[in-house]
Amino acid sequence: MSRLFDKNAIEDIDREKDQWQKEIYQPAEGEEKVFETLSGIPVEPLYTPAHTAGMDYLNDLGFPGQEPYVRGVYPTMYRGRTWTLRQLAGFGPAEETNKRYKFLLKEGATGINGVFDYPTLRGFDSTDPFARADAGRGGVAIDTIEDMRILFEGIPIDKISTSLVTCQPICNISVQSMYFASAEMRNVPLDKLTGTSQNDFLMETVITVAPELLPPRFSFKLSCDAIEYCTKHVPRWNPISFAGYNYRESGCSAAQEVAFVIANATACSEELILRGLEVDSFAPRLSFFLSAHNDFFEEIAKYRAARRIWFHIMKERFGAKDPRSLRLRFHVQTAGVALTAQQPLNNISRAAYHALSAVLGGAQSVHIDGYDEALCTPTELSSLTALRTNQILQLETRATNTIDPLGGSYFVETLTNKVEEETLRLLDEIDGMGGIVKAAATGWIHKEISNSAYEYQQAIESGKMPIVGVNCYQMEEEELPVDLFQVPETLQIQEQKLKRIKNERNGSHVREALDAVARCCEQDGNLMEVIVESVKSRVTQGEISQTLKGSYGTWEPPLF
Amino acid sequence: MATKKKIKVLVTKVGLDGHDRGAKVVSSLLKEAGMEVIYLGMFQRPEGIVKAAIDEDVDVIGLSYLSGEHLIFTPKIVEEMKKNSVDDVLLLAGGTFPAEDIPTMEEMGIDKVFRAGSLTASIVDYIKTNVEE
Repeated sequence: MSRLFDKNAIEDIDREKDQWQKEIYQPAEGEEKVFETLSGIPVEPLYTPAHTAGMDYLNDLGFPGQEPYVRGVYPTMYRGRTWTLRQLAGFGPAEETNKRYKFLLKEGATGINGVFDYPTLRGFDSTDPFARADAGRGGVAIDTIEDMRILFEGIPIDKISTSLVTCQPICNISVQSMYFASAEMRNVPLDKLTGTSQNDFLMETVITVAPELLPPRFSFKLSCDAIEYCTKHVPRWNPISFAGYNYRESGCSAAQEVAFVIANATACSEELILRGLEVDSFAPRLSFFLSAHNDFFEEIAKYRAARRIWFHIMKERFGAKDPRSLRLRFHVQTAGVALTAQQPLNNISRAAYHALSAVLGGAQSVHIDGYDEALCTPTELSSLTALRTNQILQLETRATNTIDPLGGSYFVETLTNKVEEETLRLLDEIDGMGGIVKAAATGWIHKEISNSAYEYQQAIESGKMPIVGVNCYQMEEEELPVDLFQVPETLQIQEQKLKRIKNERNGSHVREALDAVARCCEQDGNLMEVIVESVKSRVTQGEISQTLKGSYGTWEPPLF
Repeated sequence: MATKKKIKVLVTKVGLDGHDRGAKVVSSLLKEAGMEVIYLGMFQRPEGIVKAAIDEDVDVIGLSYLSGEHLIFTPKIVEEMKKNSVDDVLLLAGGTFPAEDIPTMEEMGIDKVFRAGSLTASIVDYIKTNVEE
C-alpha cells in the first residue's frame, strides 16, 4: 500500500479542519448559496489531505505513461510533444474548404479537422430533395470521390494527419472509403495514412438523427466494419472517435458524457472480439472526443477519471496487454453550447478557460471554438483567433512545464473519484439493460439526454446558473462586432458536378458497384471492404446510402 | 364566453439540421408554463408543418433554426401559410441567427425572433400577450 498520509496526521488534520470550519470559516449570514459542480456534485469549502487519505498512490494514480494512466497517457506528455492544434474547418464546396485547409496549415495548424455538411453527414447527395437547402451548411459537401480528391488537392496526406468528422457511420462508410480510395489513386499506400474518423453510431441514432435512419444495430455494424477494415489495412488510422463532445452538446452531464463513450467503446470491443479480432489488434486505435465545458475543475477531473475507468475495463474486462490499448487518448473541443450570441467577444475568454482545462486534463489535441459560433459558421478571423488562443496557451502560459500539474490537489483528486463513481454507476445501469445498442434502440439514452438538457436550461432560466450576457450583465443595444460568414454557393456547383459525373461514368460499373454493396449486406460481409472499391466507379454517397437503407430498412427514433 | 382554452403551440424544425436540443427544451418549458405543445420533431417540410398547424388548430408555430437555413425556409413556410389562409397563427423563430438577419426575417413574416440565449420567460410573455383569447 502506498497511502498518502500517516493515519495520525490525518486524524489531526481532520480535527483541526472541523474546528476551522466551525470557528474561523464564516459563511455570510443568511446566505444560502449552493456550491456544486455543473453536474451537481456538492463542493465543500476546503479540501485537505483527509479527503484523499484512502488513496493508494501507486495503484490509483501512478506515473505518466504507466498504469492506471490517470496522470497522463504518455511518459513525457507536453514536455515531449505538445497537443495537436487541430482546428475544425469545412463549408461549401470542396474547392473552398481546400483553400481554408491550406490557410490554416500555413498559419501553423498541425493537423486537418474536416467537417462535412448536413447532407453528407446524413448520407444524402447535395441534390436530394431532403438536402438541397442544406448543401454546404455546417461543413463541406462531398458527393463523390471527385469531391474528396479536390478537398485534399495539394495537401500532403502522407505526412499530415487528417481527422474526418464523419459523425454518422452511414456517412463514414462512404466518405472514409473515398478518402482511402483517393489516397490509393494518389499512390499513397494505406499504411502511410494517419488520422481519425468519427464513425459513432450514437451520433446517427441519438444525437443528430436524420430522416430515414438506419436502425441502431445496423448503424453500429457499419461502425464496427470500418474499425475492422482499418485494423487490417490502415493500421495508423483511428477508425472511431467516440463523440462524447456531441453527446455533451446535446445535453449530457460530465459523467453521462464519459459513461456513454465508454459504454459505446465497450460494445465495439465486444463486437470486434466476436468477429475474431484480438483486443490488442484494434484497441490501441480506439480514440475519444470529449468536451471542455464551463466547470473548470470538474472537466479536469472528468478527463482523469475517464482514463482510469478505461484502463480498468480494458485490462480487467478484455484482458488487453498492449499498453496502447489501456490508454484513453482524446481530442477536445471547447463547448460550443457554452458560447453565447450575446456579446460574442466574451466567448474568446470562455473558450480559453475551456481549453486550459483540457490541457490540465492531458488532452492529445485541442480545437478551440470561434467566438462567433453562436452566430454563424466561424469566419477566417475567428478561426485564426482561436488558433492563436491555442498557441498562446501552448507557448506563453507555461502550463505545460510539468505533467498533470493538478495531480495531488485534494480537491481535484476527490472530484476525480466522484466523477468516476457516478460514471461507473451509469455504466452498470447500461450493462443491466443489455448494453449501449439496446439503450439506444429503446430510447433510454434519448430520454436521459433530454432530461439533462432540460435541467440545464432550467438552471439558466431561474438564474441559478449565471451566464454573463444571457441572464446577467445583459446589454441593451448590442453592437455586433463580428463580420458574419456567408456560406459560398454550393448547390449549383454540386449539381453541375453530379450532372457531369453521371454522364461521364460507366453505367454498368455503377450498377455492379451498387449490387456488390447490396450483396455484401445480404451476406453480412464487411461493407468497407466493398465500398472502398465501389466509390472508384464514382457512385455517389447518396446511392450507397440508399442501397444500405434498401437492405437494412429504416428506423424512427423516439421524439422525446 | 367559453372557459379559457390552453394556448396551443407547435414546435418543429425544417431541413436536415439535427440539432434539436433547443426545440426540445423550449417545448418542455412552454408546457411547464401551461401551454399545450405539439412537438413535430425535425426534418419537417413547410407543407407538413402548415397542415399540422391547421389540423391541430394551433395558436403559435415555433421554428427552431441553427445553421443558417432560416432565410431559405422562412419564406417557404410563410407562403404555405398564405396559400392555406392561415392568418391567425403567430409565427416565431428561435435559434442561431446573425442580428442583421432579424429585420429580414420579420419582413418575411416572422412575428418575433428569439435568438440563442433568450430566456423562455420572454417567449412565454410574448405568446401570452400576443395570442388573442
